[in-house]
Amino acid sequence: MIDAEAERNTRGRPPTFTSWLRNLTDTELAALFAARPDLISPVPADIAALAARAAAKPAVLRVLDRLDRFSLQILEGLVALGDDRLAGPPGVEPGALAAALGLPVDRLDPALATLCRTALVWEDGKHLRPVAVLRDIIPHPAGLGPPLRVLLGALPADRLNRLATDLGLVAGYAEGSPAERIAAALSRPERIDALLDSAGADAGPVIHRLVWGPPHGTVSEAARDIDTASAASPIERLLARGLLVPIDGSTVALPLEVGLHLRGGLLFQHVAATAPELSGTERTPTAITRASAGQAFTAIRSVEELLEHWADDPPSVLRNGGLGTRDLRRAARELDTDEAGTALFIETAHAAGLIAADGDVDGEWLPTPDYDLWRETTPERRWLRLAEAWLRSTRVAALNGSKDARGRSRAVLSDGLDRRSAPEVRLDVLRALAAAPEGLAPAPESIADHLAWQRPRRQGPTYSELVDAALREAAALGLTGRGALAPHARALLDELDEQDAPVADREEARSAAVLAGELPQPADRILVQADLTAIAPGPLVPELARELALAADVESTGGATVYRFTSASIRRALDAGRGAADLTALLERHSSTPLPQPLRYLISDVGRRHGRLRVGTASSYLRCEEPALLDELVSDRRAADLALFRLAPTVVASRSTRPVLLERLTDLGYHPVAEAADGAVQISRPDPRRAEGRSVSRHIGEPAPPGPKLRAAAIRAIRAGDAAATAVRRPIPAPDAEPPRSPTAATLSALTAAVARGRSVWIGYLDTDGRASSRIVEPASVDGGYLTAYDATRAAVHRFAVHRITGVADLDSGQEPTTTAEQTAGDPPGAAGF
Amino acid sequence: MSCLIVQSDKTLLLEVGHELADECRRAIAPFAELERAPEHVHTYRVTPLALWNARAAGHDAEQVIDAFITYSRFPVPHSLLVDITETMDRYGRLRLHAHPAHGLVLQALDRAVLEEVVRAKKIKGMLGERVEPDTVVVHPSERGNLKQALLKLGWPAEDLAGYVDGEAHAIDLAEGDWELRGYQREAADSFHAGGSGVVVLPCGAGKTIVGAAAMSLVKATTLILVTNTVSVHQWRGELLRRTTLTEDEIGEYSGTRKEIRPVTIATYQVMAARRKGVHSHLELFGARDWGLVIYDEVHLLPAPIFRMTAELQARRRLGLTATLVREDGREGDVFSLIGPKRYDAPWKEMENQGWIAPADCVEVRVNLSDAERLAYATAEPEDRYRFCASSAAKISVVQELIRRHEGEQTLIIGSYIDQLDELGAALDAPVIKGETRVKERERLFDAFRSGELSTLVVSKVANFSIDLPEAGVAIQVSGSFGSRQEEAQRLGRLLRPKSDSRTARFYAVVARDTIDQEFAAHRQRFLAEQGYAYRIADADDVLDEL
Repeated sequence: MIDAEAERNTRGRPPTFTSWLRNLTDTELAALFAARPDLISPVPADIAALAARAAAKPAVLRVLDRLDRFSLQILEGLVALGDDRLAGPPGVEPGALAAALGLPVDRLDPALATLCRTALVWEDGKHLRPVAVLRDIIPHPAGLGPPLRVLLGALPADRLNRLATDLGLVAGYAEGSPAERIAAALSRPERIDALLDSAGADAGPVIHRLVWGPPHGTVSEAARDIDTASAASPIERLLARGLLVPIDGSTVALPLEVGLHLRGGLLFQHVAATAPELSGTERTPTAITRASAGQAFTAIRSVEELLEHWADDPPSVLRNGGLGTRDLRRAARELDTDEAGTALFIETAHAAGLIAADGDVDGEWLPTPDYDLWRETTPERRWLRLAEAWLRSTRVAALNGSKDARGRSRAVLSDGLDRRSAPEVRLDVLRALAAAPEGLAPAPESIADHLAWQRPRRQGPTYSELVDAALREAAALGLTGRGALAPHARALLDELDEQDAPVADREEARSAAVLAGELPQPADRILVQADLTAIAPGPLVPELARELALAADVESTGGATVYRFTSASIRRALDAGRGAADLTALLERHSSTPLPQPLRYLISDVGRRHGRLRVGTASSYLRCEEPALLDELVSDRRAADLALFRLAPTVVASRSTRPVLLERLTDLGYHPVAEAADGAVQISRPDPRRAEGRSVSRHIGEPAPPGPKLRAAAIRAIRAGDAAATAVRRPIPAPDAEPPRSPTAATLSALTAAVARGRSVWIGYLDTDGRASSRIVEPASVDGGYLTAYDATRAAVHRFAVHRITGVADLDSGQEPTTTAEQTAGDPPGAAGF
Repeated sequence: MSCLIVQSDKTLLLEVGHELADECRRAIAPFAELERAPEHVHTYRVTPLALWNARAAGHDAEQVIDAFITYSRFPVPHSLLVDITETMDRYGRLRLHAHPAHGLVLQALDRAVLEEVVRAKKIKGMLGERVEPDTVVVHPSERGNLKQALLKLGWPAEDLAGYVDGEAHAIDLAEGDWELRGYQREAADSFHAGGSGVVVLPCGAGKTIVGAAAMSLVKATTLILVTNTVSVHQWRGELLRRTTLTEDEIGEYSGTRKEIRPVTIATYQVMAARRKGVHSHLELFGARDWGLVIYDEVHLLPAPIFRMTAELQARRRLGLTATLVREDGREGDVFSLIGPKRYDAPWKEMENQGWIAPADCVEVRVNLSDAERLAYATAEPEDRYRFCASSAAKISVVQELIRRHEGEQTLIIGSYIDQLDELGAALDAPVIKGETRVKERERLFDAFRSGELSTLVVSKVANFSIDLPEAGVAIQVSGSFGSRQEEAQRLGRLLRPKSDSRTARFYAVVARDTIDQEFAAHRQRFLAEQGYAYRIADADDVLDEL
């Protein structure tokens, strides 16, 4: 921001954080909201509200947590050097900061840009100033103590006077505060050196212990009254010279100015300007790609397999909403994997909206209708949906089985697995992996070091636990292979924030395109063998897969699927309406080798025996010893609606239920008698079940980052609010004249007219204490004895009781309260001539 | 596109028609057990034991992963690779050593593992004092039990404690009119290098000769444990023919004879026999200072012998078998007590090299007459199999088959004595059954071998280890239900290479639409899995088709 412009905009007033914010361009505001989405949920009313929110402690802490070690060091430097209690203009120039860090100024630029973009630091002319709250958050920036002025200001007057005298300065308040004078004197480097020299050689080591922080030392009777003459010990000599200043009875502090000088002007001993290099094992790109793609394929296959199982035999929902351990174990067995992996697949499927609890009283976990859509997409798209759902999910499957605070074990799909920071940690981990050169599988310790630099304020056991979980889960979902980030995961990270829509919903997804080349694509060939197995050497086209799953049992899955034909499985296919000949033809069509003879025999053997007995459904039957009577009944037109079916000369079956049949036959003049009935047989397989509702993934924690559209809308809203608050809505002094007076009826009609025309009016109003006041208002509505109006004199919307309004007068156009605040209201208009 | 597909249950599918198949097979054989070998796709299984076998043979996880990455058609899931690495890494973290001062010790390369192990309840009693942070004394008598228990804990120990030499005895191979085959020499050598372990060779590949070769390498007194008496005689005959051993040096320890000589052949049955609850023949193990113990047909080794073997860990042990798969699932005991797999050659490969005869299997289905079907349907459940298996309809089919194979040595195998007697009478052929005296059996077998006798009807006494090299045709009329083991053994009878390298024929005559057919299907699954494609023929078509 250009200085002159800032001056003009703030009209000569000292620049503030708020005015700096106000002068940001829309693009810069948009960037701020993108980086700190919490600032616009809800959208603040105006820039002042925005400034208050942006400088509030919780909001600032949130940003600090995301800063890397270098940015934090810069920020600490800014807080230390830019302390507005130091002498000189508040803030630091970038050049001075760079010098104090021992780095060329351009090295700071990216980090400073980030700090400004996130509004932790603002520009005051050439100076950079940290937001005020940072001083509370970082009490000892860079390990430096408070400035001299602060420390000295807290000392008793006589102590100050003595110090002033000892330093050869004027004592007393005659020429301003002695504290100011002493501070100014002690800030000069040559003065510090001289004083330190005079304090004796043994004082040096004492003070040097405090130089690199912490800037406090504990001393008995720190606050004792001493002067240069009476000072005996090194500490006393330092205290007497103001090089150390007591803060309370037992603590002394090293003033910022002194500390910084003794450090040779440097803020830190080690400036961590770059992240530590990642180290680990070298892998060939092929090995990484293949292992990760294999795992990705395993993940989608496992989810599909699991949900197919659950469609047939859904596990029940626990009372606390989770999935039982026994069901988890069973699922793990079915998937040939361990419980941790299974828990991850289940949670990921849930996050992707593929499973949901069915709404029944005794709820069950069932695939959702979305699952059917998901299954129809290509394998790479299926993976993308899962991977992205995992990335954005707050649920941590790895916590399954761990104990909560009350010693209860946390279950998969239950609330205990929510961790609000999980998505952020996952991104941290993947970005750390992405920082490694291609082909390098960083060691876990190396990743931990890297993250400790990247997120220094986040470190702790919980964070490490989430990092470990993220690494394991990323491997299990095929985002990494052999410990290194997979090319498709890299592409996913790159495109994640390009658009608002989830990557999985976009038309084009580079990650899917990259992965597609590595995943086996569906084929329609199988190998049939004499041991009555068929092997699909890769995924099959869905139609063939369905037919085979019907006619044969799946024996093993993985890259390929092994099917085994048994007489039971073939019977199942025949039951589902396939003919023995169809089946053979299907296999012949898709087999890349001649069909073995034993399989043909098996199919024809089962086919030969299949259907020799036939079973049908009838709701009721009629028996009669006289076939003639049945002949009559079956050909009776009136009985056509009963759908009677002659099974044998003396037996007729009907689709109608027994009561209906009894009633109708009685109507027709027959005299039927009820007979104990047999049950009907169900032969068809029930359809896979689905949950009624859609899965609602639980979202807690961070508000979802608003998209560019929302951010633009927020900017418009704030600007409008700000314009209203600053330019237009400043209180307008009411005219000095007597408040207008008018009869009540006229008041009412004048107000109504003002509402209709949208004009401001001048009213006289008796407040609740009965005092008469004069207001300029923009009436919005008159209704129920009350006027709702914007009170320009108070800059707020008020409800006025009409009976208390003493009078209404029109303001002429020159006195429209839409003019600026500087324009004072003119003379009061004459009272309306009523 | 390569030839290997890795499944999630850790089976490997190898497409045999692929040009890289042979290369791939060699790469995966060390760490994967061949499970099924039908015509197009072979199934291997990667088990922890197989991985540890590979470690014992000096392979490491990187080699395994390399093989996966080189040959796998699809990307191999990362989790599988991690699992394999971790499993393989467990072998050898603990080692059994002979310590110069403390005797037998268990030494850990990883102290955490040792801590876990010494705290395990089952192991506590087997360990002595902790002499060094990483070393614990082991009671010498617990060497086998400890290895068994450690395997169960998932930390298989590498046994480097060595072997006692035993009482030396000069044994040499008497090569002259015959020669040790390449693979037999390799098998014996790799056993000898390892000290103890199992050699896996298909029936008919000359396991006895591998035993003899191993004896000639160890040159010490040897105890040989075999399945039955006929087998004892066969081993004895082979040893006399193939080695410099003389009749006096070989003893037979069976139900009837109890000889203890430098080389003693005993049956499992007599070793496992108990009198008044005590294994009365246990002393045989201690009767001499044996330098080598050979276990024939390891997959049949009964539980008591395992227990005795646990105490024999200081002796060299050789296991011989056609398959490491045990129907009782005690593969782990074979691994820890006898030793890791030292040599393995796939069945089909041996056939391709001409070491075992190729075989052609045909299932012939006969129709029961209507009267028989009714009788079958009403038979008591326990008699149903017997009824359909011994259907009279089978006799005429067998007669027809024999007529078609006239001049070939034909065995007719069945389970039901009545049926066999009937067949014997109908075919005018001698019958060998349980009650036939051993002398008479051997006379008949000799006559059959020499060609004097072309047709022999045998009951299940002939299932195991009887060497009838010239049998070219076998007709199975009934089996004991659906044992896969039995089918393999019966087929094994046919697999000795023929003098004119004919294809062996194996007929199974079954009654259609009965449980006979179901059992047959079960047994044949095994054959199909071994790569023997079989055909099905109707009895009525037999004449036209074959």
